[in-house]
Amino acid sequence: MAETVELATQTRKPHGSNEARRLRRKGLIPAVVYGHEEGTVAVTLAGEDLEKAIRHGARVVDLKSDGKVQKALIREVQWDHLGKELLHVDFARVAIDERVVLDVRVELRGIAPGVTAGGALDQPLHQLSIECLAISVPDHIRVNIGELQIGQSVHVRDLVLPEGVKAMVDADAIVVQVKAPVVEATAGGVPGAPGTETAEPEVIGRKVAAEEEAE
Amino acid sequence: MPLMPKRVKFRKSQRGTLKGNASRGNRVNFGEFGLQSLESGWLSAEAIEAGRITASHAIRGEGRLYIRVFPHKSVTAIPAETRMGKGKGEPEYWAAVVKTGMILFEVAGLPEPAARDCLARVAYKMPFKCRLVSRKPGG
Repeated sequence: MAETVELATQTRKPHGSNEARRLRRKGLIPAVVYGHEEGTVAVTLAGEDLEKAIRHGARVVDLKSDGKVQKALIREVQWDHLGKELLHVDFARVAIDERVVLDVRVELRGIAPGVTAGGALDQPLHQLSIECLAISVPDHIRVNIGELQIGQSVHVRDLVLPEGVKAMVDADAIVVQVKAPVVEATAGGVPGAPGTETAEPEVIGRKVAAEEEAE
Repeated sequence: MPLMPKRVKFRKSQRGTLKGNASRGNRVNFGEFGLQSLESGWLSAEAIEAGRITASHAIRGEGRLYIRVFPHKSVTAIPAETRMGKGKGEPEYWAAVVKTGMILFEVAGLPEPAARDCLARVAYKMPFKCRLVSRKPGG
């Protein structure tokens, strides 16, 4: 469980994309705080602190504004098209004893003997949707794959979840498995080399010449 | 054999535009690491195939490779020394339309140094500047 990070916020008055762009240029990140039947408040935060908190896996933060501190869950984070720069963050107000639903990273531990024997590790579930107390959100769900042989898999029901944490996905869903190695058929010929036949795709709606002749 | 659609509605397509950045297909969704394009352009089916072969050699059956782009677009060309007119040329190759930020390839089941090495080799085969990205936030 990550330590709760305290972030200083300031209420922002002018809204809109132009103002948001101006703020980002100054190193601030526009954000919004909502929930608990209180009004939606547009705020700004120092980009550096927020980015650091997110990169360190913070999920619940203490938002400090005008001397008041309120707990908030990082509900949604918007990144730019390259996934490098933070654009906007949504905070949802939470109470200490409130149960929240969120996605947590699945972390694999150990080296599967099946992989050493030539199998391929396949992880269909990288994030697990869980329900837990807002103050005890786990950083990740650890899965030990130290005994996984070829053909074996770990299902959601096999996971050892921390106390008070409930998985919100199908218990039969596969988290990780070791598949038998697939022998890949070698492609015939070098692409684009002379003599390589380049077939054309079928054109929908076009009649084949033979059919036309028959008609 | 390079990738190509099985059925198409029209054999030839117009050039289209490549303005803007990728708003979809710009996150690592299947594997742990991905190769992200930092430029836009057409990625030919041959280049995708070259990347696939390079990656399969690099991972040597250990991990899993995901190809995130598909050449849906036919690119036509007119033979050299042809007089003006006589219509649009014949399809020459198939290409994927790539916008800045798109994930081209992903690898799973490999440790980070191996994945880095694999995708760096694939990046040499790409006609764009690329960078390695991970699944982690901001990675």
